[in-house]
Amino acid sequence: MSASDHGRWSDELAAYALGALERDEADAFERHLAGCERCREELRWLQPAVQTLPESVERTEPPPQLRESLMAAVRAEARQARERTEPAAPRRSRGWLLKPAAGLAVVALLVAGAVGYEVGKDGAGNGGGTTVERQVGGIDVKMVQEGNSGTLQLAGVPQLPPDKVLEAWVEREGKVEAVPALFVPDRHGKAEARIADMSDVSTVMVTEEPRGGSDQPTGEPIVAMAVPQ
Amino acid sequence: MAVRREKAERLADEELMPLVGRKDPEAFEVLYDRHGGAAYSLAYRIVGDRAAAEEVTQEAFISVWRSGARFDAARGSVRSWLLSVVRNRAIDFLRSRAAKAPKLDFDDESALEQRPAEERTEEEALRRETAAELRGALGKLPDPQAKVIELAYFGGFSHSEIARILGLPMGTVKGRMRLGLEKIRGEMAEGLA
Ligand SMILES: [Zn+2]
Repeated sequence: MSASDHGRWSDELAAYALGALERDEADAFERHLAGCERCREELRWLQPAVQTLPESVERTEPPPQLRESLMAAVRAEARQARERTEPAAPRRSRGWLLKPAAGLAVVALLVAGAVGYEVGKDGAGNGGGTTVERQVGGIDVKMVQEGNSGTLQLAGVPQLPPDKVLEAWVEREGKVEAVPALFVPDRHGKAEARIADMSDVSTVMVTEEPRGGSDQPTGEPIVAMAVPQ
Repeated sequence: MAVRREKAERLADEELMPLVGRKDPEAFEVLYDRHGGAAYSLAYRIVGDRAAAEEVTQEAFISVWRSGARFDAARGSVRSWLLSVVRNRAIDFLRSRAAKAPKLDFDDESALEQRPAEERTEEEALRRETAAELRGALGKLPDPQAKVIELAYFGGFSHSEIARILGLPMGTVKGRMRLGLEKIRGEMAEGLA
């Protein structure tokens, strides 16, 4: 890296620090940065100015259910991780929730495993019917619960490869169980699964599985939704 | 649980991260309680509505939970790192929302493909110019510098997009970014002196 080269790049520095360079420009700048101590030093100097920007934002209190649903998701994953590493634990699919779901077309489009949690009373007034509704990574998820059973309704599901199906799972008292429900989205991206027994279910999940379904989830869930107890 | 939580509360963020990397929910909970408010506020400032801010914050924290081990203390504080994860998620959200915005009923497919980016440019820029109250460090800057920094950091626009929105040469946009950041940095340094 020559010194004259540096002059051209030092103009990019602030834009880079603000995340305002295009991907390829940022890559090129980083290559220069690797060999230019002056730029690195200037960047170190400017960085705190960028870091002060998010701190200057007006405070807005997050809703309490955000913390609840986040911790529910985290505890579920921690439990899975523990069970995987404890040799005495019952056999369970390796990598559930944590394995990168490479090559799964649906998963690639989504924020894998984002968990929704929002409660509203069913407007139809079906005596205790509860509807939980949420957008998870582009999929509209609706869980309609009536008594002991429920229906999981998805909209906006990307089309599956022909050799894949969707499979629903529930987490009950810390254990993931298959719901005997394999389903595929229709051509409008809608899909529905009936869950006969919702008792003690904390989370409902959907994964993409090979045709015929799996006994244990083989990839990350495309939908995971905490269910109010 | 309570004992573990108490123990986690006594740890600094940098000490919590290795625990988060080992999937310790109590360590993660403390991290959320310390920074969740700032994270949600930032997300809200960027995406502009509560439901979306909630989704973005949730996704950001989940990704931190899953990648906690990747935090590199040499590159800054846990809080800055976390907020930069939130910022990036929020910007991604803005872009995908723009891409999904209802489109006009054109037969011409190329017109359809071009629309989202333009819609985002116009609507976002307008929202930012009219609604954004510039506070703190940004509020003290001369308007032209504040505006380019606002559009870049909170709007997720690239310098070339900003040049187009404001009708300015790209060099001018980059120059204003630089001047603005220098000024904020200078004030911070003075504040410390
Ligand atoms: Zn340089």
